[in-house]
Amino acid sequence: MGLGAVGGADSELAVAIAAGSQDALAELYDRYAGLAYGIALRVLGDPGRAEDAVQEAFLNVWNRAAAFDPERGSLRSWLLTAVRNRSIDYLRGRGAHERREQDLEPVASMVGAHSDPWHEVSLKLERDAVREALSSLPAEQRQAVQLAYFGGYSQTEIADMTRVPLGTVKGRMRLALEKLSSYLRGRGLVDV
Amino acid sequence: MSDHEELESNVAAWVLGALDREEAEVVQAHAEGCASCRETAARLQRAVTALPLLVEEVEPPARLRERILAAAAAARDATTAPSRVRKKVTFPVRGNVLAPLFGRLPAYAAAAAVVVALVAGLVAGELVGRTGQVPPPSQVARFTLSGHESLAGAKATVIDLKGDGLALVDFSGLPAVGQGRVYEVWLITSGGRADPAAVFVPDGNGSKVVLVNRALQGYTLMAITNEAGPDGTQAPTQKPQLYGTVA
Repeated sequence: MGLGAVGGADSELAVAIAAGSQDALAELYDRYAGLAYGIALRVLGDPGRAEDAVQEAFLNVWNRAAAFDPERGSLRSWLLTAVRNRSIDYLRGRGAHERREQDLEPVASMVGAHSDPWHEVSLKLERDAVREALSSLPAEQRQAVQLAYFGGYSQTEIADMTRVPLGTVKGRMRLALEKLSSYLRGRGLVDV
Repeated sequence: MSDHEELESNVAAWVLGALDREEAEVVQAHAEGCASCRETAARLQRAVTALPLLVEEVEPPARLRERILAAAAAARDATTAPSRVRKKVTFPVRGNVLAPLFGRLPAYAAAAAVVVALVAGLVAGELVGRTGQVPPPSQVARFTLSGHESLAGAKATVIDLKGDGLALVDFSGLPAVGQGRVYEVWLITSGGRADPAAVFVPDGNGSKVVLVNRALQGYTLMAITNEAGPDGTQAPTQKPQLYGTVA
């Protein structure tokens, strides 16, 4: 079971991984390890701990693949969200069990994640679109989102760091995400 | 501002993971009963899901692929294979816990003390982190083994996968082990008991990723000796020259 999924869509990889196919796990690694390691390295700035975070995220997929529901998000989103969350946990010295976010349940998934076997092409298009969307935001909104997502800072910490009222930080985050969401939906890059 | 308005203003931070845990729990509890906030969260989550794509891809070290696949195989084996019983062996203990390994060589004791101090300081600093609070232990711990004397150029990184009850040890810089010989990995308790944990032969570059298919909990040191192959021995026959703390 599962060997036929290698080279197929991410959703097929998930089924194969749940069935215990190491080839499918290796395929998932080959597709997304560069992105996963890039995320961990950006958050942690430490190659050793970045490796640990990436490893934990892949093993999380391996151990919990049977619970994966493609209707609730893509395998790629699940994996990369886990990498980001594990990295932030390392940064803050938290155990993963403390995390309350349901990283198994991204509410929407990127359309391109379902476009395999053209995943490399679709991934590039998605990345270009997301970067374009982010660059269109005012600098202070972009900063608030990046400090939270990649820096692991709370909105209160961001308010202190940037010396603006907490309400302003909340507004910047909200506006930034609304614009990004609208932009991506307008480009047909999200499912819902 | 109503409670709803106050909580709704935190939804963006919630989906970004930018709330303290208590705040996040309050918003989550509210959203479970508030269709408007759930809808907002779903809409904003679309953007958050895309944020990882902002990062440039970075080629990870080649060993990471091997590490992950080995750990996955071990995790699967651990759920299907019966546990193996290992014979317990003991180092000839004299004095304190480090004595069996280092007692006859003061330089070793000093080196071990430095390792212990460094690890303790590193862990304490990491755990306190930016929050100023000491959290529970992580599911993954990392230790370093240092080589001495004939293994002075060798080192190893131990990845303790606490949740899986196993560890991976990434060796490098090891000299050829010799015909008919193997390197044997030992786990040593605070009482000086040494349990054989694995045997291996490094590749031509002196490297090897070794799976230790047992939990490190209860052990304080890991050490490596050169023993007769192919299965090693039940008790170490020489002083370890590559070792470090794993607690």
